Amino acid sequence: MTANPTSIHQRLDRRLSGFSLEQPFYTSPEVYALDLQHIFYKQWLYAVPVCQLAKAGSYTTLRVGAYEVVIVRSRDGEVRAFHNSCRHRGSLICKARQGQVAKLVCPYHQWTYELDGKLIWANDMGPDFDASKYGLKPVNLRNLDGLIYICLSDTPPDFQTFAQLARPYLEVHDLKDAKVAFTSTIIEKGNWKLVWENNRECYHCSSNHPALCRSFPLDPEVAGVQADGGVSKKLQAHFDRCEAAGTPAQFVLAGDGQYRLARMPLQEKALSYTMDGKAAVSRHLGRVAPPDAGTLLMFHYPSTWNHFLPDHSLTFRVMPISPTETEVTTTWLVHKDAVEGVDYDLKRLTEVWIATNDEDREIVETNQQGILSPAYVPGPYSPGQESGVMQFVDWYAASLERALAPRQVAAE
Amino acid sequence: MTQFKQLSFWSDAEPLECVTRTPEAPNVVTFSFQSPSGALFNHDPGQFVTLELPAPGGPLYRTYTISSAPSRPTALTITVKAQDGSTGTRWMLDNLHKGMRIRAIGPAGKFSIVHHPADKYLFISAGSGITPMVAMTTWLYDSGREPDVVFINCARRPSEIILRDRMELMASRIVGIDLKWVVEEPDPFRSWTGYRGMFNQIMLGLMAQDYLEREVFCCGPEPFMRAVREALAGLGYDMSRYHQESFTAEPGHAEDVPEDVIPDEQNHAEIAFALSGVTTRCSETDTILAAAKAAGLVIPSGCSMGICGTCKVRKTEGQVHMVHNGGITDEDVEDGYILACCSKPLRRVSVEA
Repeated sequence: MTANPTSIHQRLDRRLSGFSLEQPFYTSPEVYALDLQHIFYKQWLYAVPVCQLAKAGSYTTLRVGAYEVVIVRSRDGEVRAFHNSCRHRGSLICKARQGQVAKLVCPYHQWTYELDGKLIWANDMGPDFDASKYGLKPVNLRNLDGLIYICLSDTPPDFQTFAQLARPYLEVHDLKDAKVAFTSTIIEKGNWKLVWENNRECYHCSSNHPALCRSFPLDPEVAGVQADGGVSKKLQAHFDRCEAAGTPAQFVLAGDGQYRLARMPLQEKALSYTMDGKAAVSRHLGRVAPPDAGTLLMFHYPSTWNHFLPDHSLTFRVMPISPTETEVTTTWLVHKDAVEGVDYDLKRLTEVWIATNDEDREIVETNQQGILSPAYVPGPYSPGQESGVMQFVDWYAASLERALAPRQVAAE
Repeated sequence: MTQFKQLSFWSDAEPLECVTRTPEAPNVVTFSFQSPSGALFNHDPGQFVTLELPAPGGPLYRTYTISSAPSRPTALTITVKAQDGSTGTRWMLDNLHKGMRIRAIGPAGKFSIVHHPADKYLFISAGSGITPMVAMTTWLYDSGREPDVVFINCARRPSEIILRDRMELMASRIVGIDLKWVVEEPDPFRSWTGYRGMFNQIMLGLMAQDYLEREVFCCGPEPFMRAVREALAGLGYDMSRYHQESFTAEPGHAEDVPEDVIPDEQNHAEIAFALSGVTTRCSETDTILAAAKAAGLVIPSGCSMGICGTCKVRKTEGQVHMVHNGGITDEDVEDGYILACCSKPLRRVSVEA
């Protein structure tokens, strides 16, 4: 199976909207490389909640494709991202997934960097050595109301439009006052797009997610927005009720489809993602009214979907590991003064989404296995139930087409 | 006294006699002492003495920088400030008067320009950290030559600047003593035209543009000295030319460094390296890293000056005097970790190495 840019282009050209993608998009190393190069290495990516970096020297590391990144809070309180590679001979500097350090020190020869990336000590480099030329290479970083996004490109795309749109929705959640109650990282043995496709529909929910369905509504009238952005009367009434209480809720979608925000209702009487539908945390994170405002759904392709609830918040990070493996990191955020065992029970807080993530993992892995069969051909999405999947696939295809277009022009 | 009766120098076998006390600022008093035998004082400017204060509950030992210079050898002065909760210094303010004799130990200490001769100095201090700077500046002033000193002191208010008049007198009679006062807030109803705020990198650049060429001496509370170190290190200053003296332990470090305890070369210390099963004896002025090496043990290390943090070990017993350069987090210090390269053992110490 060849998948050079030309043949990928042909496959994109003959793609039928409303159908799943051809097999190489889910399986081939060549497409995977293009996905990294043109999407993950270019777009803004959600990394971590800023509250995870609470103290000076707190750091977290992440891998994006081949890139190694470290995000660290310095003594002046500023959070910065750097390429996690020593300017001496390239060694990783921070090896752990997270931690706290006084300085960024390479474990190989102890080149020592200040938390702002400046090289402050390197032994025996001779009199002509100019330490100022060997600071850590910075990575673009933005703090969107407590959510850290990074971008690996030297010419990052616009972030401001998204930030301005999202900020009023996020502000009422006070994420700056949050703490991490729990983090789970799982590897799903499926292409990253299958993880997204599965996330973007609830066609599968009733038969696969018994725990989630206790609080999450399945009625497309309530839970969904039509392909054309149309909203049912029932849903519009919910948006209006939230906005009247000072909580932004209205469905908004980016012009190019990369991100969306909407505060969707949960099942009647459900307030949060718990087995009994009641709040999971008595000390609320944020100032969201009314209490049954539901869940602020925010996705930003290609790396994150989120659920911001009146009592707590959940962030999800999607990171491709290989053509058929994807890491999904889920972070449960609660108010920083909420006390485990007093204001919340950790099992009760996390059990619905731990179960749901695991169910989704199995679905995605089973889907991937079937797609690996030579007999697989693209199949049709449900117009009523899977418009979100179509929206994602259209965004993906358009992104890749745009990135590959100059090649085609050059070849003509 | 018309001439020196004799040319003998005071040693701590002889007590000190209090000859005057001068109020300097709220809760700040300068005490002058002479030796009853007429012996002269010949300490290094910047050194300290330890006084044995006969407090009711038993003697208290307190260490004070000598604020006089040996260029004025007939008297030894100390300038002390009673902080809230102080016992020793409070006892002095309440009870030490003209004519009383007390025992002293010393002088001692390595914090002196005599060990680091340079053409240009930057003296930077906070609060009563000014005293060794006054002694060193007096020594330079009394030499009769023009010094080149930028002298920075940070205080809460102008009225709390210790020995301000004495410094301004010297600065007004000679070129080359450049005084910079920094206060957190002015005194009520008094105008203040000097620097205001917390000392920072920007102030440093304004006060001494050529700071990179200056030998730096710093004295004050640890958070202040840390801010100075970080400002200098961040600006690319050669930290081997930075010297500091700490007299106020941070609250969090109180257990580690009891008030005024400074390692003394004469004192023996014992270090137990628990994981290796080795116990070694050394001087209190040896670092734990050096003592480990001498005992044939290897603690992985890098910079040897408290920046890179490679030699971090956990201390399970005893106290150390640690002067690091930012290579360890406050949280690690609270958890009992030390940097072996810049920690000196006080008496008996046990570390996990």
